[in-house]
Amino acid sequence: MKEEQIDILRQQDVALRDALKLEEAELPQLPADLNVRLMQRVADVDKKPRRIIWPWLAAACVAGVLMLWLTPPKEMPQDVVATQTVVEQPPIINNKVEENLMTKVETEEPKPAPAPVKSKRAKKQKQPVVEMPVIVTLDDADRNLAIVETGQPVVKQVILTEHDIPITRPENYKYTPEELALLRKQADEAYLKWVELELEISKNNLQQTAQQE
Amino acid sequence: MTETEINLIGGLRKQSPRAQQLLLDCYGREVFAQVARLVPGVENAEEVYQDVFVKVFRNIEKYDARRSGLKTWISRIAYNEAISFLRHKSTPMVYYEDRSGEADKLTDAEVDETFGQANAETVQLIRTALKHLPPDEQALITMFYYEEMSLKEIAYVTESIPSTVASKLSRTRKKLCKIIKMLQS
Repeated sequence: MKEEQIDILRQQDVALRDALKLEEAELPQLPADLNVRLMQRVADVDKKPRRIIWPWLAAACVAGVLMLWLTPPKEMPQDVVATQTVVEQPPIINNKVEENLMTKVETEEPKPAPAPVKSKRAKKQKQPVVEMPVIVTLDDADRNLAIVETGQPVVKQVILTEHDIPITRPENYKYTPEELALLRKQADEAYLKWVELELEISKNNLQQTAQQE
Repeated sequence: MTETEINLIGGLRKQSPRAQQLLLDCYGREVFAQVARLVPGVENAEEVYQDVFVKVFRNIEKYDARRSGLKTWISRIAYNEAISFLRHKSTPMVYYEDRSGEADKLTDAEVDETFGQANAETVQLIRTALKHLPPDEQALITMFYYEEMSLKEIAYVTESIPSTVASKLSRTRKKLCKIIKMLQS
């Protein structure tokens, strides 16, 4: 729309301009003491001594750089997905564990936990560190039981995927179409009710204006 | 720019309290009215008004007389402060939203006819309908029809371009007409 057309509109829309004039007349007036309060506020702000913060900022930056410089580099990159290092323990001989338990019951003295006995066979079977994305779901008690029963450590492995994190599941952060439709319907109903109320108010105003005239 | 305005700006740049007081005397009422139109509640309007002038006094160095008049520059600050205040306000406000594009279906003749009738009933309906517009559209209508600002000036205040202001004005006019029709039906 061109400037001339716009100007014509401005002149044509008499009712709109009248409505705006009435609205303006009803606006609150500038409080008499507001400017005095404002000048007081400006004076207070000017009086306040300004803190010099740049030396502190510079010191913080230097400290940050030094920390980065002095921190040793990480040997292995870590994945975002839970990655846990599992070291398989050598098997423990059942008799030895039972013996330790017996001793504990008889003496009832706190003793350090028995160190696992390393056999030659275990040494042979000992593997290097295994790295894979897993969650170890056994606690220490379960692990001990498993060791006693089978002689071999049982490790339950669960591979984590993005789907296992509830917040990333699409169904958890999106509304279903039915829910959306319901929300929209409720919003429309609420708005209509509000419009009806506004209409009532304006009708009432009209009646009052008519009575005054 | 008049000599008085040049002196006033010079005084403001020196942070002279006398110049600041003079600025408040000259533009205070208009700025307060502009803020009160957008921000509901006198206390809120007072708060925003104070923030506007504190900003004006602090940033007077940035004022460029080639780009706008002093009044338009202050209007721009007031508009931005008021809109920013409304955005951070905790109480939500309800406005009419033309989701289905019903307003665009109205013809220009229909809209012209509605706003051209200067009778009490239509004026009352327009006043009610104005309350259903979002603050930025209310401000646009007031700047254009009441303050009689040019498209260029409105574009400067709203940080937009004149052609965008013109199309937004046309859309807002139709939207207002649609609300009136809804109220009538």
